[in-house]
Amino acid sequence: MTRRFACQRSEVPSDGLKECAVEGNLKVLIANSGDEYFAYQAICPHQDTPLCEGLYDGSVLTCHLHLWQWDIRNGAPIGLAEAPLQRYQVELEDDSIFVIDPTALDVAELFTDLPQQTLHDVMALAKREEHAAATALYAEGDPAEDFFVLDSGRVEFLVGRGERSSPAGFMLRKGEVFGWNALLENQPRRIAKATCIENSVTLRINGREAIAILERDPASAYRVMRKLSALISRYVSPPGAT
Amino acid sequence: MRIQINARNRAYQFEAQPEQRVLYAALADGISLPYECSSGTCGTCRAKLVSGEITDTWPEAPGRRYLRHPDEYLMCQCRPRGDCTFEVSSFVYATDPGACVPAFTRGVIRNLRRLTGDVACFDVELDAPCEYDAGQFMVMEVPGIAGYRGYSMVNFERGARALRFLVKKKPGGGVSEWLFADSIEGTTVDLYGPLGSAVFHPKLGKNILLIGGGSGIAGMMSILARACQEHYFEQYEGHMFFGVRTFDDAFCLDELAACKRQFPERLSITVAFSDDDVPQAARDAYPELTFERGLVHEVASRGMQGRTRNVRAYLAGPPPAVDAAIRMLLLEAKLTTDNIRYDKFS
Repeated sequence: MTRRFACQRSEVPSDGLKECAVEGNLKVLIANSGDEYFAYQAICPHQDTPLCEGLYDGSVLTCHLHLWQWDIRNGAPIGLAEAPLQRYQVELEDDSIFVIDPTALDVAELFTDLPQQTLHDVMALAKREEHAAATALYAEGDPAEDFFVLDSGRVEFLVGRGERSSPAGFMLRKGEVFGWNALLENQPRRIAKATCIENSVTLRINGREAIAILERDPASAYRVMRKLSALISRYVSPPGAT
Repeated sequence: MRIQINARNRAYQFEAQPEQRVLYAALADGISLPYECSSGTCGTCRAKLVSGEITDTWPEAPGRRYLRHPDEYLMCQCRPRGDCTFEVSSFVYATDPGACVPAFTRGVIRNLRRLTGDVACFDVELDAPCEYDAGQFMVMEVPGIAGYRGYSMVNFERGARALRFLVKKKPGGGVSEWLFADSIEGTTVDLYGPLGSAVFHPKLGKNILLIGGGSGIAGMMSILARACQEHYFEQYEGHMFFGVRTFDDAFCLDELAACKRQFPERLSITVAFSDDDVPQAARDAYPELTFERGLVHEVASRGMQGRTRNVRAYLAGPPPAVDAAIRMLLLEAKLTTDNIRYDKFS
């Protein structure tokens, strides 16, 4: 967990935004909201527009180019936005603001807004794995026991075999979840082949064990299943389609 | 030629002719690739060429400033030289079943007439009828000038045999100057469309706000025409704000006044002059219309005070005017983003 200096508190306007260059050639967006500070990726995940040029009222951030919006408290997409903002933890020390890189599980789409304890229990199941480029994580027909959270790199999917195979999408954002079959009833086998196209880092989590943890916390289980159905439907039909 | 698009969620395959733009061939095949201007300025249709060769028809396109890698291209400017595969970083779906699918067509220019010193109006008589939604646009390529330019339809008809367009003369703008020449009556042009997502359907069930600057009023007039045809303003309110510099720069006021006479109760139409006071002559000539001095988004902001509940806004015009209107609608009028519709042209 690297902690990096972002800026002085006094440099961030009240209920305003500031883009900061931090160590390691990274740009982050610092947002003030009342007494609190939040840090996010500085560039819109849609079309490379600097978010500091966006509209911000102290609670909702809007990218001015296509009106994607996010809740400043957690980076969750609102309205037209199709992706969350990558969030950094913030630490305050006197007048200084520091940002800390999140873990993949912290930003996993499937687990946003879970109570700390539940997230901690799921985290305990996660096995961090490093894969060289061209490593196959699983093939069509393999038993679907684990699901994965992408930490870094890129994973691509293929459906069908040999000549008939066709690309079935790819994952490239930290926190994206794949291999969902491991969380579903009556879906014991993989339906696609997953290959790391670059050197990649994933968290591997056993589906049955994760479900067991969620069953002890039904409110969280409900949230996770709602998120999961939303994720799956993105691959089938457009958002808002009836 | 076989084109494959690898999107975030799945891959699509379709055929494209060597002279067709990859974006146009995909949209015509019912694949809803991301795009906005479809004419090289907005950068929304960028994609990475994974394999194959293409011809980039406009290497200086302004939209290329959004590209980050040498193998990225604007799909609206790419013609295939063989089988190609592109990667698009967004989720891509099939076109909605109810949407008008764009197609290639040709037509003949008729009735070119100047409305003001720098705005002209013309019709294109089509080879085949065209179905489109109110607020959509076509891209057009004229003889002797390479490249497509976007023009919004002014009229609205089901199965239209003729499309009406407005054009603003821009000094040095090749196509707009060509359209201002007198000799183009009867010329055949290539068209592709309809395009654009800032569309109005009468089933919307909300009051509508139309803000148009200059020739950007074209698409707003199509929406107004459709709403009037459907007697939409017997049930819902309509507010149109039309921004021009001075009274001399205003056009289409007869048509707008006629709409207001048809629905005097729930339709209001305001013309804003950015550079001049309102002359008495304007009020005398068009008693149905409201005239005010100011930038169109400021005039709209004042005019919409207390009227922003259950409103869908449509915007068009020069990019700074559209941006100012968006800011006003989000921050002052507190509209939600899904109720602000526009197509970005630059």
